[in-house]
Amino acid sequence: MTAASLSLCDVEVRWSGRAILAVEEMQIRRGEFVGVIGTNGAGKTTLLKVCCGLIRPNRGTARLNGHDLAELSAWRRADLRRHVGYIPQSAEYNAELPFTLREVVAMGRTSVKGLLGRLSKDDYEMVDNWIEKLGLSQRRTQTFRSLSGGEQQKALIARAMAQEAEILVLDEPCSNLDFNWKHQITEIIEQLHRQTKVTVVMVSHETSQLPPGCGRVILLHEGEILADGDIAQVLDSEVLERAYHCRIEMLKIAGRRYTVSKNPA
Amino acid sequence: MDSFFYLVMFAGAVAGASTGLMGVYIIGMRLPFIGICISHSAMAGTIYSILLGVNPVWGPVFFSAACSMSLGAVRSGGRSRLDANVALAILFNLMLGLTFLGIGLMRGSRSEVLGLLWGSLLFVDRSSVVIITVFGLVFAAFALLFNKELKSLMFSRTIASATGVHESFVYCLFLGLCGVILAVNLPLVGGLLIFSLITCPAAAAYQICTGHRSVVIAATFFGMASAVIGFLVSYYLDLPTGACIVIVSAVIFAVSALYRTFRGKRD
Repeated sequence: MTAASLSLCDVEVRWSGRAILAVEEMQIRRGEFVGVIGTNGAGKTTLLKVCCGLIRPNRGTARLNGHDLAELSAWRRADLRRHVGYIPQSAEYNAELPFTLREVVAMGRTSVKGLLGRLSKDDYEMVDNWIEKLGLSQRRTQTFRSLSGGEQQKALIARAMAQEAEILVLDEPCSNLDFNWKHQITEIIEQLHRQTKVTVVMVSHETSQLPPGCGRVILLHEGEILADGDIAQVLDSEVLERAYHCRIEMLKIAGRRYTVSKNPA
Repeated sequence: MDSFFYLVMFAGAVAGASTGLMGVYIIGMRLPFIGICISHSAMAGTIYSILLGVNPVWGPVFFSAACSMSLGAVRSGGRSRLDANVALAILFNLMLGLTFLGIGLMRGSRSEVLGLLWGSLLFVDRSSVVIITVFGLVFAAFALLFNKELKSLMFSRTIASATGVHESFVYCLFLGLCGVILAVNLPLVGGLLIFSLITCPAAAAYQICTGHRSVVIAATFFGMASAVIGFLVSYYLDLPTGACIVIVSAVIFAVSALYRTFRGKRD
């Protein structure tokens, strides 16, 4: 059996006296593509942040590559996260600075090179390579702030890949994008997963953004895992209705599952 | 012009360059209020040094470094919902309170303390020029050595932290250095002036530059130019030096903003 990349055991995160995440057991194995869905406030982002060690749970254990994050010093924890590629929601980064696209992608090499390490010619070759693979060569010297939302997401994916990430953690990578870009970005993520075997954990509000390659879906509801299984099991109208409290019809088009909500149940 | 005025201009240029450079990171990390907060902590440090009868150099350095590094405890993206700027405002209030408490406890003349608000560039001596130059160079070396980490932090502390950058270490080191540099520049430049030298040159550079390196070069140059041109204007027109430097730095920002507007915001 493949070793677990991420695992949570009896984890609880409390905020203002209320449990916002309570997970008894969750394991994400190396090479898996896991989609995380749920209502607003279900604890999706908190789950990702606990997995990355950005939030320390009030109770329980979060393990990254077998290491208990709470037991490690801040220094060792940082070393362990070198191979976590994290793409947060847009509010969490400063897109207004005049960094060029190449500079943003090169930031992926920061943790790999370590403190005081300088980026070499090989590093920049790798950076340019990922820029090219993601079809951004024409934009290389443009500022990040001048790119479209979809191109910015591509740049952040290139940055994570330049980091040689073993685990790609994405928090709603398609929010605020038009349908064409949504499709493009999820195709890219699926392709990268297929080609590099990188572990992917992707939060999404829309079930249609989970590509056919997504082998497993976790449905969160009020901080707890309501369903965890393959895409057909979880993206089922009966299962989703329990979380979203409305009538749901599932449409399967070109391997993707679209959710149509009807009148409240 | 007397040779002494060359020393004054040099001191101003060094202070302008180092605060301009520092401003790149302070503005980039969205912490512009840090200048005014730390300069008040340095003022509190000076007052308590005088009150306790210790060397007035170390009090402000200690207070500023402690104040700025305590900000490092406020983590972004974690469970703490305290924004760094809110923490800065709280620290500022505390330092203001301590400053006025100290002033109230002082006996005799308070002109030395009040002079810290505006600085006294014209009373500069060689030893203070050496000190600000050395610390300016220390900060430049820090910015060079930790260039890639600082860039990652400016872009996003959350991503930096999640992806294994030693973000807390670099952030605390940066804040500590900011505190020390602002403290050593304070007697020359003054608490109010230092705020404009941190914000205006860097903000001007961010308006017109593409790429981090050009921002760094432009902000350092704008800071230096603000101090030197401001000093020359005040010298020839017999106007207050601090006020002239502030106005020149604001004019540089205004020209940059206009340039960006007319250029059509093309990057």
